[in-house]
Amino acid sequence: MTQQTILLVEDNVDDVELARHGFKHMGVDCHIEVASDGELALDYLHGETSDKPALVLLDINLPGMSGFEVLKRVRENETTRRIPVIILSSSDEASDITRGYNLGANSYLCKSVELFEFRKILENLGLYWLETNISAPH
Amino acid sequence: MILPPDSPFQPKPSNSTSQLRAHSASWLSSRRGIAQRLLVLILFFSSVITLIATAVQLYIDYSQEISVIEHRLDDIESSYMGSLSASLWNMDIDQLTLQMLGMKGLPDIQAVEIYENNELIETPLQLTAGSRRDEAIISRHLPIFRTAGNEKRQLGTLYIEASLEKVYQRLTNKALVILFSQGIKTFLVSLFILLVFYWLVTRHLMSIAQFFSTVDLRHRYKYFALQRSAQSNDDELSTVVSAFNDMCFKLQDTYSELQSVNVELEKDIEARHRAERKVKQLNDKLEQRVSWRTAELEAANKELAAFCYSVSHDLRAPVRRIQGFKRILEEEYASQFDASGRHYLARIEVGTKEMSDMIDSFLRLSRSTSAELSIETVDLSLLAKGVERRIREKDADRIVNVEIKDTMPVEGDKRLLEVVLVNLIENAWKYTQRRTNAEIKVGSSQINNETVYYVEDNGAGFDMTLAVNLFTPFQRFHKAEEFDGTGIGLATVQRIVSRHGGRIWADATVDRGAIFYFTLWERGRV
Repeated sequence: MTQQTILLVEDNVDDVELARHGFKHMGVDCHIEVASDGELALDYLHGETSDKPALVLLDINLPGMSGFEVLKRVRENETTRRIPVIILSSSDEASDITRGYNLGANSYLCKSVELFEFRKILENLGLYWLETNISAPH
Repeated sequence: MILPPDSPFQPKPSNSTSQLRAHSASWLSSRRGIAQRLLVLILFFSSVITLIATAVQLYIDYSQEISVIEHRLDDIESSYMGSLSASLWNMDIDQLTLQMLGMKGLPDIQAVEIYENNELIETPLQLTAGSRRDEAIISRHLPIFRTAGNEKRQLGTLYIEASLEKVYQRLTNKALVILFSQGIKTFLVSLFILLVFYWLVTRHLMSIAQFFSTVDLRHRYKYFALQRSAQSNDDELSTVVSAFNDMCFKLQDTYSELQSVNVELEKDIEARHRAERKVKQLNDKLEQRVSWRTAELEAANKELAAFCYSVSHDLRAPVRRIQGFKRILEEEYASQFDASGRHYLARIEVGTKEMSDMIDSFLRLSRSTSAELSIETVDLSLLAKGVERRIREKDADRIVNVEIKDTMPVEGDKRLLEVVLVNLIENAWKYTQRRTNAEIKVGSSQINNETVYYVEDNGAGFDMTLAVNLFTPFQRFHKAEEFDGTGIGLATVQRIVSRHGGRIWADATVDRGAIFYFTLWERGRV
């Protein structure tokens, strides 16, 4: 099976590194593609490459276009409409969570302070979305 | 306007004479006038006296007349008896008849009879002149004696009868005349008295009544005087009139005073009304200002809340990263660290944990300040029991005796009240760490007519003299290693309690324990 790609939309390099570290421990073979802002993420998603990522991890707190806006565009675009998008946020405010789901997110994760917890989440995430779940064909 | 007592004398009568006459006419027909009663009494008394006098007079006359007749009879006796005796002895019937007629001719004598003594004679002589009657008479039986030598022999009896009819007649006429004349006299006198009384008293009384019944003290009082000659100005009526006049003047003065007081009062009331209106105006302005300020405050609060929120979130991210990298460091390079290195790592752990907790508390504090209260009926007991359960789950090893009052219903925001209880109970839980017989009590009691809720523990307590800043954020009483705690908790609790219109205070003794009291809605729900 070809290596699956996860698109990580995150602007902070430290957070990216921590996420990569988390994925490493996940035990699932995948390629992590990083986009540091909304524009770049959309370019990648809506670009010519027919390979769409199996999963998008989306930070809300982005420079320029907000994560919610990105989510909205992704859901509007026919080619990317069905890609699973998981929101990664430091906020646990009910309003943000509701907004995320309303805009079509598949899941909402809170970036907790405790790294081990975060790793556990990512592990479960990977196991589910990459191993167990069968993505829709694009 | 107060009139001087000796105001100009105005002897004008306050009513016309025709009115007076009308009144006197009505007076005459009234049934209870004084004159009427006077008349009746006088008549009665006069009649009684008259009757007595007349009776006495008549009786005297009667006695006199009787005695006249008695005298007459005595005279007859003394004058006729001798000759009668001689005539009878001689049996001279003509003489006897003559004498009898002579006697009968005397005034008032109506019957004379002579009877011969019938002892020795078979047919006694009986001579009569006139006719007897049985009533209204005075009669005498006179014995006729013949004296011969020493012997006195009764020859017969003379019966003589005088009629009292004429006497009675005369007396009756006299009585009638007297009564009639007395009657006329009494009537005339009474009439006179009536008229005099009217002239002297009653008409003046009526004019007084008339005048004073129409007195209106709102207008200037006019002196009242009776219509009569000045000479009769010292009697009871003038006393009454001057008393009334005085009274009216006094009343007028009083009335004027009252009037002026009234005017003052009205001015007062007007002033008070003006003041009230002013106060209302100010009040309205104040209320408006208050509502502006409240709106401003709310807006400021919201801004602050938003600010706190974004700051907290922004602060969290770096903390998370520090923690994350430290973990990786620990994991992957721990073997390369010596004891010092591991110690430093541990210190980093503690620092970041503290930072993280503080941010969480801060976030909670700002939420409690800004969030809108959604008031409902909440049972503090249920909340407290839930908190206790969660604490026990996290810290199952400890043995703590927790007593929670059965039911404590209050009005408030459930989420925020839970924060209060979490803070207070967690504090109590922490501060009784070192006790083997740790006890925590949650309840309520009535102090000074208000309900006061409390969370009590028998833990380490604290020094009350240092308690000034108990509810200020970031103050702590024990060294950090002894007890966890960010120091924000109580500030949050105070904020929440105060938003529920209550107060919170504490009472503690070092090494004995602490009680945290709080009230809700002290001045009623807003």
